[in-house]
Amino acid sequence: MTRRSRSTGRLAAPLWLIGLCLAGVVVATGAAAQTAEAPAPRPERANVAPEALPDAPVAYDPWRPMNRGLFAFGMGLDHAVFAPVAHGYMKVTPAPVRNRVSSVVYNLSEPSTVLEDVLQGHPKRAGRAAGRFVVNSTVGLLGLFDVATRWGLEPHESDFGQTLGRYGAQPGPYIFVPVIGPSNLRDGIGRIVDVATDPIGFLTGPITSTAGGVRYGVTALDQRALSDPAFEALKDATDPYVTTRSAYTQYRADAVRRATGETQALPDFDAGPGAQ
Amino acid sequence: MLQLNRRGLGAALAAAVGLLTLGAASTSQAQGTRDPGAEQFVQASAQKVIGILADKSLSETQKEAVFHRAIDELADVPKITNFVLGKYARSITPEQKARFTPTFRAYAESVYRNRLDDYHGEVVKVTGSTVRKPGDVIVNTQITGGQNAQPVDVAWRVLGGPAGWKAVDVQFKGVWLAITQQQDFVSTIDNAHGNIDVLIAQLQRDAKRPLAKR
Repeated sequence: MTRRSRSTGRLAAPLWLIGLCLAGVVVATGAAAQTAEAPAPRPERANVAPEALPDAPVAYDPWRPMNRGLFAFGMGLDHAVFAPVAHGYMKVTPAPVRNRVSSVVYNLSEPSTVLEDVLQGHPKRAGRAAGRFVVNSTVGLLGLFDVATRWGLEPHESDFGQTLGRYGAQPGPYIFVPVIGPSNLRDGIGRIVDVATDPIGFLTGPITSTAGGVRYGVTALDQRALSDPAFEALKDATDPYVTTRSAYTQYRADAVRRATGETQALPDFDAGPGAQ
Repeated sequence: MLQLNRRGLGAALAAAVGLLTLGAASTSQAQGTRDPGAEQFVQASAQKVIGILADKSLSETQKEAVFHRAIDELADVPKITNFVLGKYARSITPEQKARFTPTFRAYAESVYRNRLDDYHGEVVKVTGSTVRKPGDVIVNTQITGGQNAQPVDVAWRVLGGPAGWKAVDVQFKGVWLAITQQQDFVSTIDNAHGNIDVLIAQLQRDAKRPLAKR
């Protein structure tokens, strides 16, 4: 049962970093400029995907041929390795047990949420996340049960990529990284920072330590199991690469809007065909 | 990979294709205010659809028929069909449109029904709405219960007014389904050098795939 989506992304960053470095994204200075105050790329600009449409969140995808290749490789890798492992986990583990695992994984991400909420200038949200962590870590038996939500402390998600967006950083080039999934320059940098500043990570140690390795392993397995419906849904897409890119781009744009409070621009359904 | 809760997605899809025309009165309002009429429409229609899907007295064939009627009666199928074609809505020929319309319909129904297989028992609760402009409203809901361990936030874009509302898109975790589908379809046609027949053929194949193989 999918409930949360963000925590694993942080933990997966070391693998993601490898993929990112291989793709040469970090050193792409031209792409880095996209994170500045420049307005978001619009469909009519060069290097914008031709399938992009006005008003909907548009992915800036200058490395599309490479990304498509990485996407195909990543999906093949998932089909051969990760999906069977996740399906085995889902088969032998009842949903209530998996829910508890997800709860623990999510709870361990709350301290990072607190940090990001502070950086975003949202003290109330930070207090709520801190309260959730305290309540669920104690009354909720180390995060096994989400007591905080029942007490009115609703969960929310915050990360450093969102924080960058909160202060005007644009997404930058889209990139697909096998194993890790879709991302962009801003959110990729955000993931690195999330891992580097993860308070729980300071306690568990890096992935090479026993505690860190267990945490990364469990989190990765939980994440893949939670992602299974999305993988299944992709089978119905006529162009799974673009569907993934579109969904991710919208998802992250929404995350930034939640931080800024801005209103979303939406396409006009009432206009004639020419409007599209 | 982006997380899309299966039952949450199911909830969104369920309500997206099962909206009822309520005809509730609402007044034109400035952007940013709530629209009780649109909220009432979503509340009633989404909950009714969930009830239909949870009705174990219906056979699969009956559910399919109910599903089909729900789309006919409640969703703004012509607008959605036109929208998902994106820029190619301008260049599609009448003959292609005549083939695309029922093909898309069959594809959408097949996909949605597959996603809704284990979806039942949830309760829809409207949490607010935002009037983008008169007759264009985003209604926010929370879907709880059933197999959902946590409430699922789903937003609905409805168009219309006092004479009747229709849903044109549904959002889950920030992702609008019609927008995503539009970019998916347009890319497929782009990759085929503008040949819309390629998309139609692919949708026909997808709609015919057995549910178990999806």
